[in-house]
Amino acid sequence: MFVTALPTIAQMIGANRILRGVSITHPTGDPSLAVGDELALRRQIVERALEMLATDVGPMTVWETSA
Amino acid sequence: MRVVHYLNQFFAGLGGEEAAGHEPVRLEGAVGPGRGLEVAGLPVDVTLACGDDAFGEREAEVLARLLAWIEEETPDVLVCGPAFGSGRYGYACGSLAREAGRRGVPVVTAMTPDSPGVLAAEGAAYVFPTGSSVTEMRSVLPAIASFALRLARGERVGSAEEEGYLPRGLRTNVRAERTGAARAVDLLLAKLGGDVRTEIVPTGDRVAPPPPVPDLTRARMALVTEAGCVPQGNPDRLPGRRANAWLRYPLDGVTSLGADSYESVHAGFDTTAANEDPNRLVPLDVVRELEAEGRIGALHDVFYTTTGVDTPVAAAAKFGQEIAAELHEAGVQAVILTGT
Repeated sequence: MFVTALPTIAQMIGANRILRGVSITHPTGDPSLAVGDELALRRQIVERALEMLATDVGPMTVWETSA
Repeated sequence: MRVVHYLNQFFAGLGGEEAAGHEPVRLEGAVGPGRGLEVAGLPVDVTLACGDDAFGEREAEVLARLLAWIEEETPDVLVCGPAFGSGRYGYACGSLAREAGRRGVPVVTAMTPDSPGVLAAEGAAYVFPTGSSVTEMRSVLPAIASFALRLARGERVGSAEEEGYLPRGLRTNVRAERTGAARAVDLLLAKLGGDVRTEIVPTGDRVAPPPPVPDLTRARMALVTEAGCVPQGNPDRLPGRRANAWLRYPLDGVTSLGADSYESVHAGFDTTAANEDPNRLVPLDVVRELEAEGRIGALHDVFYTTTGVDTPVAAAAKFGQEIAAELHEAGVQAVILTGT
């Protein structure tokens, strides 16, 4: 599955499990957060990715990090 | 009019795979598919042929010999192939087409759009798309023969869209009758009406979504990125743009992508935040936590990386296929790919 801040481009190239990342320059982090909060955010993103990997999806499905 | 035609060993009748190492040869007149070009109205004066492996393995030397012959002939047009889906032959056609094209010889060739020869041609030749099977020979030869005739006569040829060759990545200035604003609105209205016009070619590569991973707690997971994440100092010189390769780096005993040990060399975005903490690109720290907690079976012992900027789609697709093949071989069932 693909974590990216540009889900429309991911769809254009035909990726199927797409999770919206935080930003282009830091898809799995956020420098504006305190260290602990950033780690929690990253964990949330990866847990969401695991959830998507374990879910039946249609073509070019995009999920947001928070359900 | 002087016409030169390039073929591989097979189409030149020199032999099959056992002759793939065949030296370059110069033959008088049309051979094999060249006869089809002649039937379609393009007389072939000289045929050059070479084994596909000889070309691929000794490219510089073979190219020099072929180009020397071409220089002697000073052809009005060079035709290479068609190569259809043959990768090595396509590559040879594309490389020779590029070199001859850059020396001022008009060149036309034909192959599948995803052939490595299309990239190799680098826009220096006209490449017509074909299917992968030689059975199309009968329809392809007349098309490239008539186009080659026009090139040889120095006639003006139209855009890729008008003529049907693959876009060469060149821009030509033309005078438009209406302003950019008016044309933009027209395009938007057309798009809203379902008529999408763009010079950005969709890949058309559609893969059905794979079924869900049945049990992540038993699955082997891998991390892959196009974010240009490499060990500090970029020991293997991953290019910052137009990557020509992907790399793999060990994760044995690595619990986090620390800023002291890893960096991004990606030239397509500001890497400041990423280089303060490369886990912002490849979430290794959190994945290790989840692995320790048993939420995933095991993390694959290497991660894969390249830079996805200015990378031709065909090259990127090739990287993807190569990485996927390795992951498959290693029994990896789940991948988190991060993109920037």
